[in-house]
Amino acid sequence: MQSAPLPETLANLLGFDPNSTPVMIVMSLIGAALIGTLMMTNTALAGPWAKRKITAAFTDRIAVNRIGPFGLFIIVADAVRLLSKELIVPEGVDRPAWDLAPLVIASTALLGFAVIPMGNGIQLADPEVGLAYVFATASMASVGLVMAGYASNNKYSFLGGLRAVAQNVAYEIPLILTGASVVIFAGSLQMSEIVAAQQQSLIGPLPSWYAFVNPFAFVLFLIANLAEVGRNPFDIPEAPTEIVAGYQTEYSSVYFVLVYLGEFIHIFLGGAIIATIFLGGPAGPVLPGIVWFMIKIWGVFLFTQWARSAVPRVRIDQLIEIGWKGMLVLSLANLLLTAVIVGVIA
Amino acid sequence: MSLEKPSRDTELDVGATEDGLDYDALADLLGGHVLDREEHVNAEGFVIRPDEVQDVLSTLRQEVGFDHLSCVTAQEYDDRYESIYHLRKYADPTQELSVVVPSPKDDPHNESAARVYDTADWHEREAYDLVGIEYDDHPDLRRILLPETWQGHPLSQDYNQDQPQIVPLRENANPLQDDHRSEDDPDTMFVNIGPHHPATHGVLHVETVLDGEQIASLEPDIGYLHRCEEQMCQQGTYRHQIMPYPDRWDYISAGILNEWAYARAAEDLADIEVPEYAQIIRTMSAEMCRIAAHMLALATFALDVFGDFTAVFQYGIRDREIVQNLLEDLTGQRLMFNYLRLGGVAWDLPEPREEYFEKVRDFLDGLPHKLEEYHDLVTGNEIFQMRCVDTGVLSRDQVKQYGATGPVARGSGVDYDLRRDDPYGYYDELDWDVVTEQGGDNFSRVLVRMREVEESARIISQCVDLLEDWPEDDREIQANVPRTLRPDPDKEVYRAVEGAKGELGIYIRSDGTDKPARFKIRSPCFSNLQTLPEMSQGEYIPDMIASLGSLDIVLGEVDR
Repeated sequence: MQSAPLPETLANLLGFDPNSTPVMIVMSLIGAALIGTLMMTNTALAGPWAKRKITAAFTDRIAVNRIGPFGLFIIVADAVRLLSKELIVPEGVDRPAWDLAPLVIASTALLGFAVIPMGNGIQLADPEVGLAYVFATASMASVGLVMAGYASNNKYSFLGGLRAVAQNVAYEIPLILTGASVVIFAGSLQMSEIVAAQQQSLIGPLPSWYAFVNPFAFVLFLIANLAEVGRNPFDIPEAPTEIVAGYQTEYSSVYFVLVYLGEFIHIFLGGAIIATIFLGGPAGPVLPGIVWFMIKIWGVFLFTQWARSAVPRVRIDQLIEIGWKGMLVLSLANLLLTAVIVGVIA
Repeated sequence: MSLEKPSRDTELDVGATEDGLDYDALADLLGGHVLDREEHVNAEGFVIRPDEVQDVLSTLRQEVGFDHLSCVTAQEYDDRYESIYHLRKYADPTQELSVVVPSPKDDPHNESAARVYDTADWHEREAYDLVGIEYDDHPDLRRILLPETWQGHPLSQDYNQDQPQIVPLRENANPLQDDHRSEDDPDTMFVNIGPHHPATHGVLHVETVLDGEQIASLEPDIGYLHRCEEQMCQQGTYRHQIMPYPDRWDYISAGILNEWAYARAAEDLADIEVPEYAQIIRTMSAEMCRIAAHMLALATFALDVFGDFTAVFQYGIRDREIVQNLLEDLTGQRLMFNYLRLGGVAWDLPEPREEYFEKVRDFLDGLPHKLEEYHDLVTGNEIFQMRCVDTGVLSRDQVKQYGATGPVARGSGVDYDLRRDDPYGYYDELDWDVVTEQGGDNFSRVLVRMREVEESARIISQCVDLLEDWPEDDREIQANVPRTLRPDPDKEVYRAVEGAKGELGIYIRSDGTDKPARFKIRSPCFSNLQTLPEMSQGEYIPDMIASLGSLDIVLGEVDR
């Protein structure tokens, strides 16, 4: 299962010397472009279409079906529509923070994919601090949210930005603590190690994925992840019926696309993290690893959309309460318990 | 059985007798305050001095138990202005009294009733705005429906109807001041919620001062959808031209309920007896409207609490669609039904009748299952309960102070439903219950609506049985009403029906022509919306939004 990171594979494939630094830089860039394109295809093209279809299925509707087979060409129509809209820059926005925020939101989440092993050797890099790196990049999006909220010169955006920070701080800690319990199991922060540690069989054909080994941690992580990506019941930072659209209220045209894209990438990154540390990464029978990996990501995406369709939104004070009084305590307990169990057994 | 009226408080029953109110006893109680007595069709009117309004009303409220100021009607005569306070009792709305307050033509001044009934605040502001009577000692006498800068009072006699008026934006307060704080408290932030906001369900503007995320104070600003409905009705003939307007007040498929309000008032004014068969059709179609309206109320409330166009919203719309189709089959319209006529209905049930009954029964049979689905998805959801229980609490006293009615009042345990308490149509012949909940919170109001859907279904099913067995040669859908209806001059009537949102009242004064001299609409949403600040003070924005959703206002009816 263990395979060399992508740039090395590419260099070997194209007959270059994998030990020369300039070659590796070029190959890394090519690899990054490949992975970026792959993820963008999923998030920017398939994502919005699938979201429409999934939500429609939950809400007893048909959704897009007029343009192309299954309405697939709506993606093209959407792209033209969104990109050709006027970019409205409201009076008094704090530039360049206002312009940078969408970029920060969209690009930080994309960085996280660099260390995710997607199977079939698709992994840009495999640093020893892989998991810490992913969490770091994922949480950088909050910076973008605050920038967007504060720079927009709009009270709704401002409230949305502050809500986003409060929420991310409250839920990132449980998220990382729960991730840490996986690290205790695997004994490593390196993503490939974590994946490799999940390959043995647990009972019979059931693999020792950490979702099965420690379902409690898995549930905690799923919930914290919902808050992290801001989907119901935790879509407080946007909360359309309360604060219009939160931090993204003032964004239009390309900037809106970037903000929206950032959210989708974030959901997919959340899915990728869950797939990697709880669902055995790219592991699975018959189909190639990358396919399994995508299936798992889409499974998590489906879950977030399900939650969005069926669950009411909690109030901001309730959200904070759940985060600090519930999730944090539970995730600490989980961490301690895992540490004790692993310490005693191993 | 809850169809029986709750027992009354005996010591508050001055003048209450078996045959209705004994107005002589009331006049004795008020003594010298009563200058004159008028006969209105619904009740007697006591004429009092403009500077004794508070005295008289507080006596009537405290000693006679008139705890419900249903409506304030203002109008201008050739020689005077007049405000009429329509009083009734929550315990028994058939006990009515109109307090008539004339004020001089050259300087129309009145003592305000807002110190006695909180609901008078907005009603008097409207009277000031549209007619031009000044209310002394009013807490905040400003225009309410028209912009602050409007010139003149549109329903006064010397108002120039042909003069267009432009309201420039700059005359309104700048919503984006440099300093985003309110002046008296630097820690608070002023936010305009609406008129364009995803949660206001129309053009409602809520001026909100926030302390963090909590609401320090808020004030609904209405009038964006003001279409001079009262004046349009005054310019239409009784017989045909007024009936289409009520559909446009509460336009959330409650059309027939609204039409009935006008029909009831006008029929009482002109002494028209509606055939029984038509009354049953009216009752059935009105309850269909109520189901449709409550379904939408549930759907949009879910939208507010769930936060997006989610499953519950779509389910609500899907199920409402079935009722909507039934109404379309019956009336030929989906929104603006225009189905009732003075003295009856426009036409009989659609042929073949059996097929129609079949459709209605299918819908009624499927309803319990659907409601169960809603209970599973909505009211049974813990997060939903967390959000709605004990938020937006409205006490029984507040309900009465603000003249709130309908599901809002019943959600606070006020057992008040005009269908039972002031019977009209065929309701008193049928077996159904008035639904109340004691909580007074957002959750109770939702529950009341959902249970009222069940009761409406019961009513419809009994109506269908009756209609099916009705002898074929006795299907009289229309009473004999003159083509041009000219009620006797100077008759006044105030009549209300139980609309989807509460007590929808109509005041009509006739002047011998074929058009009303004064047409006043008492909108339930108008009074209900007044409770929003009481409910939301100190709560979080999401709770305020939920409360607003649970009030289920329709701006078309608030602003008229």
